[in-house]
Amino acid sequence: MKKLTLLMFFFLSLSICAQKYYTKTGSTEFKASVQAFEPVEAKNNSTSAVLNAETGDIASLLFVKAFRFRVALMQEHFNENYMDSNKFPKATFKGKIEGFNASEISSSKEYTIKGTLTVRGVKKEIETIGKFTKQGKKLRLQASFSIKPEDFEIKIPKIVSKKIAGTINVNLDYELVEKK
Amino acid sequence: MSLSKKSKVILSIIVIIIIAVFAVYKYSMQPPAKIESKKVDFTGSSDELLSKIQQNAAEWQDKVVIISGKITGIDDKGFMLSSSIYCQLRDSLKVSSLTANQNISIKGRVIGYDDLLEELKLDQCIIQQQP
Repeated sequence: MKKLTLLMFFFLSLSICAQKYYTKTGSTEFKASVQAFEPVEAKNNSTSAVLNAETGDIASLLFVKAFRFRVALMQEHFNENYMDSNKFPKATFKGKIEGFNASEISSSKEYTIKGTLTVRGVKKEIETIGKFTKQGKKLRLQASFSIKPEDFEIKIPKIVSKKIAGTINVNLDYELVEKK
Repeated sequence: MSLSKKSKVILSIIVIIIIAVFAVYKYSMQPPAKIESKKVDFTGSSDELLSKIQQNAAEWQDKVVIISGKITGIDDKGFMLSSSIYCQLRDSLKVSSLTANQNISIKGRVIGYDDLLEELKLDQCIIQQQP
């Protein structure tokens, strides 16, 4: 009987904990606008992310060329001059959500996310607060953080440096679904 | 009101300059080209595209393709083609018109090979035809 109970608990815990959540269409947007100048912002709606609910490990990947700007020329300059996206097509993040526990999230809960962001081959440690919200079967992750172009060796020519903010705000909005 | 010949010439030049400035502004502010007008770099089946990608993935970034295959999975923003290509629709509302296992042909842009989820990723996909 004890063995049966133990086995039952084992399987029960498996079904609660061993879950992976993912998205293929996460939204990552950044804003680097300076007031009174042309808005510098773009959105990437094809971010991939995988979250292991058991360990709290999270990894995400996006393709730089999938950032959509309102103005074609700005998108071209972004890819060719600043991001060199032919050479560095991806930006990735690998990190951990501290103390993540999916069952604790009744409606929404905030956790600290720490990890490494790699852009243009340059790695930087990032720490931010992620807000996790349960929406039916989906788990929504929203987070914001700031980075500087020089953190990733992105050189902004002096001529346009006044039009691009020194600090870039990045906003994430990922709707994660369970992996079956 | 009658103008001297000189004034007429100056006025015409000013008008031409205004039109030119307007045209340059309009050109420099135009949004990115729509997928319909983009030149196609590859037409074929999804399997053919996959074998080409396996040979040289980097070369296929940003290329526009028309591929056909079977829908193996549908989500709210796009669908899986042949279990290995994710096609994100430009218009996510069109998802409701799709059914699993149907054959479909789409025009889309190759974003790249997603090694996190191990699939090829396409976006701006528009449905070419539904047989």
